Amino acid sequence: MNKRVLKGSVILLLLAGLLLIPRFVESPYALHMMILLFLSVAQGQSWNILGGYAGQHSVGHAAYFGVGAYMTMMLMHSKGIAPWVGVWAGMAAVVVVALIIGSICFRLRGPYFVLASIAVAEIMRLSAINLTTLTNGAEGILATELPAFKIGATVVTDFVTKVPFYYIGLFLVVLTLGVTYWVQHSKLGYYFQAIREDQDAAHSLGINIALYKNIGLVLSAVLTSLAGSFYGIYVGFVDPPTVLGLDVSVQIMLICIIGGMGTLWGPVLGSLILVPLSEALRSNLVTDLLVKSGAVSAESRLGLFLKENLSHAHVLLYGILVVLVILFMPDGLMGFVKKLAMRRKREAV
Amino acid sequence: MRKHLLALGATLALSPCLMAQKIGVINSMSGPEAPIGENITNGIKLAEEDLKKKGVNLQLVWEDDTGKPQISMSAMEKLATRENVVGVVGPYTSACSNAVAKLAEKYHVPLLIPAAAKEEITRQGLAHVFRMNAPADKYASSLIDAATSLGKPRSIAFIYENTDFGTSTSKTAKDYVATKGIQVVADVSYPKGSADYRSTLAQIKSKNPDLVFMVSYVADAILLMRQSREVGLQPQAFLGAGAGFTTVEFAKERAISDNVISCTQWTDDVNWPGAKDFGARYKAKFGKEPTYHAACAYASMIIMAETAKASGGDRAKTRNALKAGKWNGIMGEVKFADYDGFTNQNNHHMLVQQIIAGKYETVLPAQFATKKAVYPFPKWK
Amino acid sequence: MAVFLQSLISGILIGGVYALIGIGLTLIFGVMRVINFAHGDILMVGMYLTYLIFTLLGIDPFVSVLITFPLMFLFGGFLQKVFINRVLDALAQNQILLTIGLGLIMSNTVMLIFTSDYKILTTSYSSATIKVGGGVSVSTPLLISFLITAAITAALYWFLLKTDTGQAIRATAQDRDAAQLMGINVKRMSIIAFGLGAALAGTAGALISPTYYIFPQVGSVFTLKAFVITVLGGMGSVVGATLGGVLIGITESMSAVYISSGWKDVVVFVLFLLVLLFKPSGLMGKSRT
Repeated sequence: MNKRVLKGSVILLLLAGLLLIPRFVESPYALHMMILLFLSVAQGQSWNILGGYAGQHSVGHAAYFGVGAYMTMMLMHSKGIAPWVGVWAGMAAVVVVALIIGSICFRLRGPYFVLASIAVAEIMRLSAINLTTLTNGAEGILATELPAFKIGATVVTDFVTKVPFYYIGLFLVVLTLGVTYWVQHSKLGYYFQAIREDQDAAHSLGINIALYKNIGLVLSAVLTSLAGSFYGIYVGFVDPPTVLGLDVSVQIMLICIIGGMGTLWGPVLGSLILVPLSEALRSNLVTDLLVKSGAVSAESRLGLFLKENLSHAHVLLYGILVVLVILFMPDGLMGFVKKLAMRRKREAV
Repeated sequence: MRKHLLALGATLALSPCLMAQKIGVINSMSGPEAPIGENITNGIKLAEEDLKKKGVNLQLVWEDDTGKPQISMSAMEKLATRENVVGVVGPYTSACSNAVAKLAEKYHVPLLIPAAAKEEITRQGLAHVFRMNAPADKYASSLIDAATSLGKPRSIAFIYENTDFGTSTSKTAKDYVATKGIQVVADVSYPKGSADYRSTLAQIKSKNPDLVFMVSYVADAILLMRQSREVGLQPQAFLGAGAGFTTVEFAKERAISDNVISCTQWTDDVNWPGAKDFGARYKAKFGKEPTYHAACAYASMIIMAETAKASGGDRAKTRNALKAGKWNGIMGEVKFADYDGFTNQNNHHMLVQQIIAGKYETVLPAQFATKKAVYPFPKWK
Repeated sequence: MAVFLQSLISGILIGGVYALIGIGLTLIFGVMRVINFAHGDILMVGMYLTYLIFTLLGIDPFVSVLITFPLMFLFGGFLQKVFINRVLDALAQNQILLTIGLGLIMSNTVMLIFTSDYKILTTSYSSATIKVGGGVSVSTPLLISFLITAAITAALYWFLLKTDTGQAIRATAQDRDAAQLMGINVKRMSIIAFGLGAALAGTAGALISPTYYIFPQVGSVFTLKAFVITVLGGMGSVVGATLGGVLIGITESMSAVYISSGWKDVVVFVLFLLVLLFKPSGLMGKSRT
């Protein structure tokens, strides 16, 4: 069988499986974890377009995530505008914001670009805190009552269970993966990669650097803002540190770095590792597992210490993971996997 | 005979274990709010011990929300749907509590919030959400009333951290002083963690306020007072409406904390049943004095656990019992009532205290006072 | 007028401490082109070290700088040799992530050991002031930190200009390859530079501890500020970082009064972007992208 057809059918099977999960899995907690996973993948894929393919490593993507989240929530909370309408306003706003940020940041290269992207996101976060009439400032916006989604006169869903959120999340994943695939196989993708590899050479070949950088940014920003809007309506609460904070930007980048930048499946891999790991650590699953498996006795000093502290230590473990990946797997897991595959090919020959 | 005794002994030993109440706890155990979250953890641990002595066995499920509302919501989801707890005590911060309240209502899980200040939380008509502590408007009114009862202040300056807690507490205070005819001469919200407030304090000093109303946590509270002393800010009273002004660390800094007036939900020398004893036992067990958060958490857990046991571990029955019940413990009389737009709010008496000679002394209301207040604020040495 | 003078003076004094943080960062970036996101966390380690020395040995924080400086130098050298060295030629954002990871490890390890409790160092002169007249007062501990910072900056400048090692470091910062061709052990220079940068950051932590408070996450506030200062002053310029630090201190202090306390950080970031756009080499830097 043709390799492409094989790959394609595996993906279709996977998609079918994911579509059917809510039929069989009732636990809201499990659905919640899947939704978090989808959100993470969507965020990672969106960043990947600008950072992985076009090589512009923005550490300020929280700006776009936050604009999407805030626009949707502000419109819903103060004007009662349904989120599926508000989301378009969010995207429009983010296009404007992205172009402004691009005009500032794209004049800079390397570490200066990174620092500028951070500064811009911080300015947005601080503005959100100070513009209280618009954003309710530090108190944030709490809006958990979503209007029912109707087509004509029939109610499709009233958002009481997690299932509609699951499907929206899945849709975002498919969308972002699809856009990434399209970028990767189009001329646009080639321009991006040329800019990434050597901007000056690309320029000398006649590629309009400013145009393509901005296209990459706008694409990336719009997708990130969609993820932000989704986050807002799912969680029902946004405030400046949660959606505009530096750690949001770092988290988004982390997904791609660990998974592998500039690859189609990198962010998926990164999310598959980071999301369960973070939740498992936070909720003491790891300690429980260690105790159950008998590796550590619950009463021993080590056991007690772990029980007390491991959940607090999840950030510490994050840090260690980051250091290990950067030092030993700088191309992320996808890069590592690809290297292994290539080595095996070579040996097979 | 011996066989009978053995059987009896075995049954007695086993029966408590069969009736352990599964209660969830959501708390900020790591992250920026961890230092205060620790007090809540300790208060609950002490409650767990005391409850065991009374024959109420608990199976506590601890969830760390790291101070973030969205994680608090995940924790609540887990407790409500996976762990199937009877009820939940927590969270700590206002932002987390507000976020979790709606979920508690959705899943019909009784939620007892021990120490969150934001009024809105119990103003939403949520039948399953109960709050132990007095809300933010009480912080403001207690302090302002104390000042107006001790002197005749005409102007007030506000300085508060630009977080949910700082902004909402000062908002209620601003509304209150408007009704009292006190003029607001300065309104400064500062980003947490600044190293230098001197220029801002100098500016406030130039406006000559009679009262300075502050909302901060410990570290900023100490810095603000130190730098107030440096620039020579000399109002009639410093009113500290934040957790930062009620901690032992703050009181220790005598050069800058003496005579600061603050309000609190609880002190260890108030004459509520068991309060002094709780304070002593807490100090013996954890090596430091409890803050009001510990007392609120302790009382909340005692009430939640006893109610859950009496209701046979049923959520609906527990909720009804919480609504109908009346308790008298280290937090004084507790009754969750509906009044003034609040639902299931314990109409708790706030205590106004002042640091006199390095110790917290309750100065108002008169029936709980141990010392007379020092007013106006003495000149800085 | 009193308000203006008070703002100016406290801005200058706190700017001195900022300058010390910025100088450390600029050395590291100048010599290695590494964006050190763990700089604030290194400062935090310096603060805790000072705290330990103060509470366990009873040594005044300003005096303990003599102990903290060499210890932090060794710590910095260790970080460089074991971690940073491996990413010297990697992508900028890999370096950033590595240092972010190291910073996370540092702050969370400290949190596990010391808990998140705020620690306050109270010395006999913590709230002491010198009244300068006109209603303006100068914080004594801040003044002392400023003077010590000035001394350290002068000493550093002398080191870089007059000693062989110092000149070797400057050569490496100017052109790494050329320096290597001239026989300079650039690897060693990197270790020394990072060690120095860490020592300066740790010392800044020690100097600020009598007037601030100590907790594990204190680093993040200072890291961003340090970057603004270094860019403003010019990456790699010690004098530039000094000027930049004082300038940022004054800007913050004045903005808090004349604009608003809430917007003062935005002013700093806007200033940062303007410098990046219109004079990226900073006040004193030479163009060296």
